[in-house]
Amino acid sequence: MSDSNTTVIARKPSAAVSTGKLRVAFAGNPNSGKSTLINAIAGTRLHVGNWPGVTVEMKEASFTHNGHRIDLVDLPGTYSLSPYSQEEVIAADYLAKEKPDVIVNVVDATNLERNLYLTVQLLELGIPTVIALNIHDEAEKKGYRIDTKGIEKSLGVTVVATSAVRKTGLDELLDAVVSTADDPERHKPHDVSYGPDIDQAANNVLERLGSELAPVPDEYPLRWLAIRLVEQDERISGLFDERTVRIVQDATEHLRSAHGSDLESLVADARYAVANGVAHQVLKKPATAKVELTEKIDSVVLNRFWGIPIFLAAMWFLFKLTFDISTPFMDWMDTVIGVVSAWAGAGLAAIGASEWISSLVIDGIIAGVGTVFVFLPIILAMMFFVTLLEGTGYMARAAFIMDRAMRSIGLHGKSFIPLLMGFGCNVPSIYATRTLENPKDKVLTALLVPYMSCGARLPVYVLFTAAFFATNQGTVLWSLYVLGIVVAMIMGLIFKRTLFRGEPAPAFVMELPPYRMPSFKSLMIHTWEKGRHFVVKAGTWILLASIVVWVLYSLPWGAEKHDTLLGRTGQAVAPVLAPLGFGDWQAGASLVTGVVAKEVVVSTMGEIYAPAAVGEEPAEEEAVPTFGEGVTEIATGLVTAVGDSAMGVLSSVGITSIAVEEPGDDGLLGSLKGTFSPLSAFAFMVFVLLYVPCMIVLVAMRQEFGSWKWAGVSVATTFAAAWVVTFIVYQGGSLLGIGV
Amino acid sequence: MDLSMLKPGNRARITSIGVAGPLKRRLMDMGVLVGEEIKLVKIAPLGDPVEVDIKSYRLSLRKSEAQAIGVEVLDV
Repeated sequence: MSDSNTTVIARKPSAAVSTGKLRVAFAGNPNSGKSTLINAIAGTRLHVGNWPGVTVEMKEASFTHNGHRIDLVDLPGTYSLSPYSQEEVIAADYLAKEKPDVIVNVVDATNLERNLYLTVQLLELGIPTVIALNIHDEAEKKGYRIDTKGIEKSLGVTVVATSAVRKTGLDELLDAVVSTADDPERHKPHDVSYGPDIDQAANNVLERLGSELAPVPDEYPLRWLAIRLVEQDERISGLFDERTVRIVQDATEHLRSAHGSDLESLVADARYAVANGVAHQVLKKPATAKVELTEKIDSVVLNRFWGIPIFLAAMWFLFKLTFDISTPFMDWMDTVIGVVSAWAGAGLAAIGASEWISSLVIDGIIAGVGTVFVFLPIILAMMFFVTLLEGTGYMARAAFIMDRAMRSIGLHGKSFIPLLMGFGCNVPSIYATRTLENPKDKVLTALLVPYMSCGARLPVYVLFTAAFFATNQGTVLWSLYVLGIVVAMIMGLIFKRTLFRGEPAPAFVMELPPYRMPSFKSLMIHTWEKGRHFVVKAGTWILLASIVVWVLYSLPWGAEKHDTLLGRTGQAVAPVLAPLGFGDWQAGASLVTGVVAKEVVVSTMGEIYAPAAVGEEPAEEEAVPTFGEGVTEIATGLVTAVGDSAMGVLSSVGITSIAVEEPGDDGLLGSLKGTFSPLSAFAFMVFVLLYVPCMIVLVAMRQEFGSWKWAGVSVATTFAAAWVVTFIVYQGGSLLGIGV
Repeated sequence: MDLSMLKPGNRARITSIGVAGPLKRRLMDMGVLVGEEIKLVKIAPLGDPVEVDIKSYRLSLRKSEAQAIGVEVLDV
């Protein structure tokens, strides 16, 4: 991770000070309540985006406080400013290069010493700093007495006690920020001393660099640079030429001879010594600590025997809840789209639009936009629960419980939840990989998510099992889900040995934060931002893909199905699929449209397998609802959805949540029976299970990983896996004479 | 004696950290330093990772990571 790219943050420092704008950066440990605090301060004015070039979340907000314009930036939560994680590099670079007017350091009052370790590093930058002594209410409840004046005296910064949950200290914090910025000289933090040896070495480095005219990148604060050079921060050393590195080596000779060559540990020790000193001085803990709630909960949920059953039950319940809540709204979205399509059709007919234009608008554009919105409820529901799991601290416990099992296929304990959620819908699973810290873990998890058989694949299984395996539908279904998991495990092992070969396993070392209830507002803001992002960022791509599929499906206009672009594509891919047992163009064409969303395979098959039986005419013309009728339908639909969703929360057992519509199309069942054998039908289901993720998943991957690269890898590897596994199933079955 | 050998409830003092690079840095940043007191709190249901108490907060480490941390037991 020692990425020598120093231009992660390319933004130029704005002329903020002169225009009266204050640039304020919030820095703090993960789990320090920083997000909640910022949500309480900035609320809906928060804008959530990504740091340039990386998939680390960046929050910004602009607002006025007492006539002062404040531009707030939330830095990623970090324990340190070391150069070993993306988050740390971003935070360090932003602070050192952009030099905000004021740093607000959010410190968890219940965990003072470790939080002050970051504070000490922030003070090295020499930027005016205000400490938000957060979660102050909880610390008081624990009987902690913290002498804020004492911290101010020893560090030279203003300290404000805050509680984001009780909304106390928020105004005072902003007041302190403004008055600090008004008089930066008076509020300059003390130069933290790391003892005579380290201080001397840092001074030596500065002097030698100055006297030997070594080129020093001038955007960095000098003392900060010197200390980073002393502790051999690889990324900072990498900014200098060899001569300078030698000069630094010379200048730290004394330190090395006195304390050994491990200057990294020496400086870390010194920083902790300062943090420890301050914490000791200002913190009074009660003599006997109460057994804390966190410990009580953990003694149950992390229990050797019950830990796993409780975990699995909780996950299953959450999974069910997610789908029970969102499915009615997804159905409702379908209703809305149906009404809007009907209106659009009538409107287009009224203005005399040609048939192909109205087809493009309805089947291409509205259907595409519709796809985006149909996915919205489940994405919101799932992001809500994932945020809740993280906010409460249970996500870390889930990782603790599952890590051993997940590691055997090269994953991290936190990979489990995105993968589990994948059985419902792969799309939010891709977004949920964000809970993983390490980029390698994120990518690997995202690459395995598509093997989890999502709800959209179920209609295909239902159709085929109804046609071929009516007597043992359950067993066949079950075998497909298991096959997906087995293939994911094999692919995990393959990826571990190929794509990520030679890369050291990322460190696990993870805090188990105390359980806390995140504020509802904070949860809602986070969930809403995810949904908004999906609509805005992914929406465009999904719309584009939907139009492309429409073009394939409909052009040349009026052609027989066989001769459309889709038909021809089906013919082109047929030879590739022939060894798998389904080499006709219809199967190929259905699979091509299935890239939009897997359940589309069924509707395409309905249209191209049984044309004569059903009749080519676009069914009976549905009566176009009047405006009033349409609105009524949408409104009652919404009421029903809210009702069903509430019922979904209540009903807690049974797998009925994933709505499965029985294919009522006897014509299609008949043609399938004429075309497929039981073996090739099973092979087809296996292929649908494994072959390329739907385009929405691919768009989500692009969004999460910043380029099409991993989406491309995913297409290539899933397709290869699908082909090989289906080949083995079909050819093996043929050889053994099963179901031919 | 290394950290992975402790039993739940055991307290120990860290005597050495036998890793280098990012993992060492990460451990240091989390307060896992030579001379620090550490307590093994729990072992995960599947036997790995472990939960420790250090600098009055809870940290979890894989056994492979804990093996690199040398300790001397303070009380049994």
